[in-house]
Amino acid sequence: MENAGYFFAAFAIIWAVVFGYVMFLVNKAGKISRQMKAIEEARPRRDQA
Amino acid sequence: MEQNVFRKYWLAVLGVVLILVALWMVFLYVPTVTQDGHPFAQRIFYFHVPVDWVAFLSFFIVFIASIAYLRTRDRKWDNIAHSSAELGIIFTSLMLLTGMIWARPAWGVYWVWDPRLTTALVLWFIYVAYLLVRSYAGEEVRGARFAAVLGIVGFIDVPIVALAIVLWRTQHPAPLVFEGGLDGKMMATLMVSLAAFTCLFASLLRVRFSLRKAEYLLRSIEQE
Amino acid sequence: MSTLGKALAITRKDILSEARSKEIVFSALIFAILVIIIFNFAFGADQTSMTLVAPGILWVTFTFAGVLSLNRSFVAEKEENCLEGLMIAPMPREVIYIGKGLGSLLFMVVIEIIALPIFTVLFNVSALSLPVIVITLLATIGFAAVGTLFSALAVNTKARDMVLPILFLPVVVPVIISAVKATSLALTGSGWSDLGSWLAILGAFDVIFMVVSFWVFPFIVEE
Repeated sequence: MENAGYFFAAFAIIWAVVFGYVMFLVNKAGKISRQMKAIEEARPRRDQA
Repeated sequence: MEQNVFRKYWLAVLGVVLILVALWMVFLYVPTVTQDGHPFAQRIFYFHVPVDWVAFLSFFIVFIASIAYLRTRDRKWDNIAHSSAELGIIFTSLMLLTGMIWARPAWGVYWVWDPRLTTALVLWFIYVAYLLVRSYAGEEVRGARFAAVLGIVGFIDVPIVALAIVLWRTQHPAPLVFEGGLDGKMMATLMVSLAAFTCLFASLLRVRFSLRKAEYLLRSIEQE
Repeated sequence: MSTLGKALAITRKDILSEARSKEIVFSALIFAILVIIIFNFAFGADQTSMTLVAPGILWVTFTFAGVLSLNRSFVAEKEENCLEGLMIAPMPREVIYIGKGLGSLLFMVVIEIIALPIFTVLFNVSALSLPVIVITLLATIGFAAVGTLFSALAVNTKARDMVLPILFLPVVVPVIISAVKATSLALTGSGWSDLGSWLAILGAFDVIFMVVSFWVFPFIVEE
């Protein structure tokens, strides 16, 4: 199989980039989750006051 | 409850299945093409073309969503456009990268002024501008409006860019990233790969869209 | 006052203020001539290489001079708050587009009228022929059509001057490609039939983008 290296390079790059983007999305989801939790914790105190 | 779970994930599941099938086809099923003397690398084609198609599809979505946004001013459309453009840049970059990786074994150089690659390069710049204009504009709503304009103008520009480059190329023939016919197995592999990448794109778009929606919500809560 | 009349009034205002300050035409012109001279030194070894690079250099020159003049045409409005004045005036926003567009077109044409003969002399090419003039005109119309839209956008952003090239140049790539190729064919003596398809692209771009920019302009300047 000639030039298999190039083929795998292309293959690897595609999936590396896609995976990277998915990680970016996962991070964002985590950040949003944390912010929502912070707001949730702040709320009950407001209701009581 | 079970039906709900299925509805939520069907696209992703379909995508994964298609990707696996496509991988099998590209690696094992499809016969090797011997015409350009670099047999195995030619298989990049089965990834390059679908990536190409997805990039174009995402910018078409940006175009439609931009028009809808300017008409309705509903932020949902801006969300779709923005998310689609984000994905579009990624896939256009992938298209350029895979094109370059393919060009190296095929012609010994990393770049060829192939119509599709050159158009993709210009497209890349136009959509970088689309993303940049949002931060340049200073405030969000204005940024969304400017970006929508760019999304419309940019998309209309693409056929003209492609036309000019194709015309230039017929006067200066240069290596083409793809030519020749496809036999049955190759066509089937290409189609499956196309479907797989489209599903991938659709799933990612969906996720990005709902994440952005959550961001909007959070921001409006924080501003209270 | 008719729509065209209102647009021309805006154009006239631009011409008058420019005639007094001579800002735009002057700086763009100096820039164009400087670029031509510098490139001449960079490439000017023998006549064959000069004829080869001439079209590209000509259009790089016109492109950058064009960006300069487009930048300045709206900056003046913003600084003097004229833009608000124009918006309050009882006319559809598209009229502002036509008026400013015609003004920019005129300024670019003036620059080109002066730069082309200089170019002809320095590069020793027959750039004053009818084909080249037609190409230049068609390309400039396309430039002005899209450029006016984008400079109205750019002026409403934070980093004004830098923004315009980034936004605008990728979109006008087909104009520049067609202009360079067509000019190159014209300078080597090709006939009108060879130029045909390039002129068609230029013409199509002009028409399409005059319409699209006209339609989309109000969204840029709305409050």
